[in-house]
Amino acid sequence: MNKEIASSQITIKGIRDGLLISVGRYYSFADLYKELKEEVTQKGSFLRNSRIALEVGGQILTLEELTNLQILFAQHGMALWAILSRREATREAARELGLATRLPGSKMDLQGNGKPDPALAPEATQNQQPPNALLIKETLRSGRHVFYEGHIVIVGDVNPGAEVVAEGDIIVWGKLRGLVHAGAAGDTQATISAIDLSPTQLRIADRIAVTPPAEKNQHILPETALIRDNQIIAEPWK
Amino acid sequence: MKLGKVITITSGKGGVGKTTLTANLSAALASIGRKVVAIDTDIGLRNLDVVMGLENRIVYDLVDVIEGRCRLKQAMIKDKRVNSLYMIPAAQTRDKMSISPTDMVLVCDQLREEMDYILIDSPAGIERGFQNALAPSDQVLIVTNPEVSAVRDADRIIGLVDAAEKGPAQLLVNRLKPEMVARGDMLSINDIVEILAVDVLGIIPEDESILISSNRGTPLTLDNGHMPRARIAVQNVARRIEGESVPFIDLTAREGLLSKVKGWFGG
Repeated sequence: MNKEIASSQITIKGIRDGLLISVGRYYSFADLYKELKEEVTQKGSFLRNSRIALEVGGQILTLEELTNLQILFAQHGMALWAILSRREATREAARELGLATRLPGSKMDLQGNGKPDPALAPEATQNQQPPNALLIKETLRSGRHVFYEGHIVIVGDVNPGAEVVAEGDIIVWGKLRGLVHAGAAGDTQATISAIDLSPTQLRIADRIAVTPPAEKNQHILPETALIRDNQIIAEPWK
Repeated sequence: MKLGKVITITSGKGGVGKTTLTANLSAALASIGRKVVAIDTDIGLRNLDVVMGLENRIVYDLVDVIEGRCRLKQAMIKDKRVNSLYMIPAAQTRDKMSISPTDMVLVCDQLREEMDYILIDSPAGIERGFQNALAPSDQVLIVTNPEVSAVRDADRIIGLVDAAEKGPAQLLVNRLKPEMVARGDMLSINDIVEILAVDVLGIIPEDESILISSNRGTPLTLDNGHMPRARIAVQNVARRIEGESVPFIDLTAREGLLSKVKGWFGG
């Protein structure tokens, strides 16, 4: 097995829109942060006033971690404007911070994947409204948190311990067992639908509901949860 | 030259049987002639040495190796009951931050050249200790018990293993009580796989003899003349790691579970 243990895994190169900093694989965010900090501190004067696109490969970075990186760059007079990642979770977090997730004018991402990713579409046309739905094609396991200011569509399961928060509707093409919050900005018209709707907790706008305990061998029906007469109800998915 | 394989045994939740399984699995692999070293990465809370009955032979530990106070060979305690079984103990007076994931990769790369298998006993949790245990891994085995909280933690760990590009992890369901499952009082293999959606490498029944052997410091898989079902189950895991296709043993004294297990594994 070939393992990367290179002492520095950071490369910097000039691109049309400033600088592209690529980081290798780190075992923890703390390691990544430490090396990046050393690098920008060392080359501070050289890098000052540049616009930075940061390529992070396959690692998942949270909103908080990206914020820390943004602050780190800002402290050294640099502006982080894009995060390039193979991970949808990282791109989600980057978008939340208003960062681009691909370089403009490029249909390809850096791995040469030309397939248009619906979740990537908005970055080509910056400063416009975000697309109205985020498509996630994977199962969200315990510990994952997804937020989006539009609708969220998940093709996969949402396991207990995962959280999905949308300002619009949430649709789960799979088993919904975690925590979901639709209409998170206050939209009482938002709905939550799933093939198997049995979340730990379900919220629409400012209402909260829990799934009644399942009866044995209960037949599973796709359902939609919505607010009617001021309370959350579930009805067959139409 | 064929390089040894690093297998990390982890769980998220504590007390599900990581250390006991590491000890028994290491012994089982050594018993079929493989060169095996088990590493305890639970720095500060070492246990593997106790379960393997090697506590009184510790001179150097993993942190000594990493900090250069001894050679790797000096920290490897040879088990006298079976050929080709070794153990590297954790340091008891230090903490998880004493070693880094990179240190673990370096140590394991050295061990790969001599050993067929390097089994890493991970500490509970998802912090540094877990990251250390995961870094050098070629294969990740997640130990869970048939209970909701253990399965929840296993789910979290599976996600972290995937994110670290070390997946797909495989599952060891430990301490299953077939009669409780039959009564509907315990999660079945079916229930667990439905949530976790990963392959099951082994199902080990709850068995008093495992506890007794741990307290004695004699891994069950080294205790000749003693053949409870739990021992056979662990030996089967060892054979599956070797690439053999071994059917799951019939744990059902009564009907109920078997049909479910069959449903999932095709018999």
